[in-house]
Amino acid sequence: MLSAFLSAFRTPDLRKKLLFTIGIVAIYRLGATLPSPGVSYGNAQKCIEALETGTPGVFTLLNLFSGGALLSLSVFALGIMPYITASIILQLLTVVIPRLEQLRKEGQAGQAKITQYTRYLTLGLAILQSSAFVALARSGQLFNNRCNEWPLIPEGTGMPMWITLVTLVVTMTAGTGVVMWLGELITDRGVGNGMSVLIFTSIAARLPSEGWSIKESQGWDEFFLVIALVLVVITAVVFIEQAQRRIPVQYAKRMIGRRMYGGTSTYIPLKVNQAGVIPVIFASSLLYLPQLALQFGDPNDLNSFEAWIQNHLANPADWVYIVVYFFLIIFFTYFYVSITFNPTEVAENMKKYGGFVPGIRPGKPTAEYLDFILSRITLPGSLYLGLISVLPNFFFIWLDSTAYQNFPFGGTAVLIMVGVGLETVKQIESQLMQRNYEGFLR
Amino acid sequence: MGVSSRLKSRVQRFLQRPGTTVDLGPLEKLLPKVAAREDALKELDDAELTEAAGKADEYVEICAVGREAARRGLDQRAYDVQLIGAMALLSGKVAEMATGEGKTLTAAIAAYGHVRRGHGPVHVLTVNDYLARRDALWMAPVYKLLGLSVGWVTEASTPEQRRAAYNNDVTYVSVSEAGFDYLRDQLVVDIDDRVQRELATCIVDEADSILIDEARVPMVLAGTVPGEQDPVHAADALVRGLRNKRDYEIADDGRSVALTSAGLSRIESELDDVDLYAAENFDQLSAVNVALHAHALLHRDVDYIVRNGAVELVDEMRGRVAQRRRWPDGLQAAVEAKEGLGATAEGEVLDTITVQAYIGLYKTLCGMTATAVLVGHELREFFKLEVAVIPPNTPCVRVDESDRIYATRAEKEEALIEEIRSAHETGRPVLVGTLDVKESEQLAAGLKAAGVECVVLNAKNDEEEAAIIAEAGMHNAVTVSTQMAGRGVDIRLGGSDQTDYDRVSDLGGLYVIGSGRHDSRRVDDQLRGRAGRQGDPGTSVFFVSLEDELVVRHAPELIPASPRMHADGLVEDEAVNYAIEHAQRVAEGVNHEIHRNTWRYSVVIEQQRLALAVRRERLLTTDVAGDMLRERCEEKAESLEDDELVNRVGRSIALYHLDRLWAEHLAELSEVREGVHLRALGRLDPLDEFHRAAVPAFNDLFPKIEERTVATFEESEIDEDWEPEVATLVRPSATWTYLVHDNPFGSELDRLISAVGRRIASSR
Repeated sequence: MLSAFLSAFRTPDLRKKLLFTIGIVAIYRLGATLPSPGVSYGNAQKCIEALETGTPGVFTLLNLFSGGALLSLSVFALGIMPYITASIILQLLTVVIPRLEQLRKEGQAGQAKITQYTRYLTLGLAILQSSAFVALARSGQLFNNRCNEWPLIPEGTGMPMWITLVTLVVTMTAGTGVVMWLGELITDRGVGNGMSVLIFTSIAARLPSEGWSIKESQGWDEFFLVIALVLVVITAVVFIEQAQRRIPVQYAKRMIGRRMYGGTSTYIPLKVNQAGVIPVIFASSLLYLPQLALQFGDPNDLNSFEAWIQNHLANPADWVYIVVYFFLIIFFTYFYVSITFNPTEVAENMKKYGGFVPGIRPGKPTAEYLDFILSRITLPGSLYLGLISVLPNFFFIWLDSTAYQNFPFGGTAVLIMVGVGLETVKQIESQLMQRNYEGFLR
Repeated sequence: MGVSSRLKSRVQRFLQRPGTTVDLGPLEKLLPKVAAREDALKELDDAELTEAAGKADEYVEICAVGREAARRGLDQRAYDVQLIGAMALLSGKVAEMATGEGKTLTAAIAAYGHVRRGHGPVHVLTVNDYLARRDALWMAPVYKLLGLSVGWVTEASTPEQRRAAYNNDVTYVSVSEAGFDYLRDQLVVDIDDRVQRELATCIVDEADSILIDEARVPMVLAGTVPGEQDPVHAADALVRGLRNKRDYEIADDGRSVALTSAGLSRIESELDDVDLYAAENFDQLSAVNVALHAHALLHRDVDYIVRNGAVELVDEMRGRVAQRRRWPDGLQAAVEAKEGLGATAEGEVLDTITVQAYIGLYKTLCGMTATAVLVGHELREFFKLEVAVIPPNTPCVRVDESDRIYATRAEKEEALIEEIRSAHETGRPVLVGTLDVKESEQLAAGLKAAGVECVVLNAKNDEEEAAIIAEAGMHNAVTVSTQMAGRGVDIRLGGSDQTDYDRVSDLGGLYVIGSGRHDSRRVDDQLRGRAGRQGDPGTSVFFVSLEDELVVRHAPELIPASPRMHADGLVEDEAVNYAIEHAQRVAEGVNHEIHRNTWRYSVVIEQQRLALAVRRERLLTTDVAGDMLRERCEEKAESLEDDELVNRVGRSIALYHLDRLWAEHLAELSEVREGVHLRALGRLDPLDEFHRAAVPAFNDLFPKIEERTVATFEESEIDEDWEPEVATLVRPSATWTYLVHDNPFGSELDRLISAVGRRIASSR
């Protein structure tokens, strides 16, 4: 990986792309730390500190994806999320609205129009979300009413309150537009997928401060132990993320120039972790629900059922939570793989273009064969995802604190970071075409 | 220009809409200066003009001298718009100029300008040999006055003629000849065998056709493979009795076909119950698939014609026989088997280049066409070219009527023949554009039955093209043609000598009728453009039916069950209009996608070719191979006692292995390419994966060449007249790729959503 980066920097074209990406990332981080006008930076920091000592808030996952920008209401507080949401909504709408489906079929020209709609929708969503978060911040709910003595948006600045609020919404919406543009710039002119790189940046940006807070609260020994453990986990994740089973495929439609090149150049790669990080996000989102429900009640007056939820299902350091989380992930892994990899469809496609698995007839037998392999390989894949995801919960138990809910060394974060990292490095590698070729003809 | 329209053009330029990005204002300001030089230049005699031409290097002087040379050489005074066009070409743009505006002269002035400004030699790339020769001969007097030499290349040119032609200041050549000459130059074993000089500037005629449509079809140089047996002819008999829907299924996009289990068992039982999918029957299976493709997907007189006992491909965009184009991978042999012809020798791919990559080798690039704005985005994406829209000399007064849409094909044909007949009765010349050869012949038969005499022009009689087109504008003429009449032909009202001009003009000029919308708006527009040249009157209209292939293939779901129509079957329904436009946009989108993918996957190969060319050049011109052999095989080299011999032998052995290994490398990559879309299933990017296979394979190439050279040298008996075995060169052909999308499964999100959608649909 390092050597790939080094030789990338030696290639002028790639060096330009890499530096461009780094420049964009720097701008993105700057905007993420820049407080919006009307927000008290000092108060926001105090509130975040206060939050870290208590039970985690509802917005921790969002906060993780925005690189901590959300809770301090910075210019890029909403991050890349509205853009992602808008893309997903538009994709969903193509199923419902025939006009969009037709546009999609028209190829690139139509796709460009859909992209334009996505941008408009992103801005719409940004207005909604920024208004919502500004309102939550005003009422104190952004921090679970736990820091009402330090108002995020203080009064008495000499400016009417409504002007401040409108300015905030406008600033954050504009910020979202800029983030969207930055992401597209990276995709077009930099390396990697813009959205992924920005999410990677957000998560990675939290690493130093979170690591430091472990040192502060637990001391050096634990700090180094955690770092060592995390390195082991990352190594394991890198290893397993690349593991794949290759199912050979042959295409029988050419009569000339065919030779056997070891016969392995054409294959379907089935990954051990075929599902990626999505099952973990599904499962953790689902487990936020009990917590969210508790917010509606009075925390000092719980009935026994609510108390049980409070102590077990909403407590990441509890065994019930861990077990439920683990099994939810396994379930979602199977669910997601079954939806995104349809053996019948793959078999049909192969048949359509004259491809087949050597020794297996096309159509149904091929589909059955693929299904068999897939269900075999998904079991270790799902166990692996589950284990990686619950690891940080053991950290909680061990460190005796729930302050690390949005622990950036934890399951989701590591999986996303390693995933994006591998994808980007692969892209860099693939662009490293001009090299110093070896041999006597130099 | 009013304030609002100026603002509008500013906004459009800011949005980078194609056709608005080039400001012609500065060029227009030069025109008075050009006109001011006119009288002074008229005073000069021919020799003095040639001398003045040799000194010009500014736009103004180039245009002024060019105009004067054209006046003397062709008896034509170049219009202002032609000079603007020439200046746009000189500044590296694509000039959009309407039909009949004199693109040929524009190109000649621009070619002269490029040479004078130090960008020579100039190649003018045309779409076919006929135009290359015609334009070169036509413009020769102008070039002579300008003091430049001009030459042309056609398929029949010998290597000596080619070398002479390329040594001129300006060379007219069809793009495929130029590309193949480049490929052949890459494979010479003696440096003196090269025909082309360094590629400097090209002016592309019919730029959209060459840069966009042709760019999808890579040019391939193939060597013959000896002793190839012919399993395709045997397989042909097997698939002959199969029927659509029962034995095989054609995919919706009409680009692939697969046996059903019924068809499979039928074939297997005919072969004495073998398992076709067993490893040892792989060749047989391939032969069956290829034969099936030839039978089910390729149609005589649509995709190809049979002429002089040979199968010739028809270019889908131009309706002409595509010169030297062949189907790849044994498909050509399968079609020959289907038509009962003997198989021509198949080739192994020695080298290949896309038109786009070839054109990328020129340092300066510009072009002209009548339809550039519609592909403006693609020209920018693939070639970084901007489009300059040149206004016509006289405004176009052609009437473009809206489509006449009929529910069924039969109704459309009836109405079409009736329309032609009634127009013909007045004596007005009619040009009918049909979609393929077959349709043109059927329509001609229908017209005959209705008592209308007509001339047919299609791929089968393309040698008569010039004569037919020359008289197509005559009083009473009816011409039925394929898309052939859509490009590069100039129909003058009243016949070639324009004797009847006034009579025909009073009747409304040329009446252009399209018998159906083409796969691309550009082809439609080109056909319309045959009428209304140079401010002539004219009319154009398209007849469309809801059973046309374009509609059925790309927008069947959008046709309303009972569209609103008149009593005579003429449909008038907004939904139908939208459906037809949509179908055409889908067809264009598919072609664009093919172009993009062909290009994306060829980038790495092009880079490798350039890297390899540098090494090959060094091998060819220096003694590196000999030095290497003296180092690695000291004994053998010393035993020969002749450094010159070692150099010569080393060079030819190394070149031989370099070419062999490159051919093998290309074959390996096309194999990887074929199945690389499957990698998307493992959440890998197919293009990245392709690069990851291509780069290490290429890196292995040089050590391998070295190794094999040493081995051959050690093994061979070497004496004074030693010669290596050379694969028999060289059959140039072009072939294309099947792949439309590199990820037919869609992104993971697409799959998720479509799965959810299916479930919702099935639960309803």
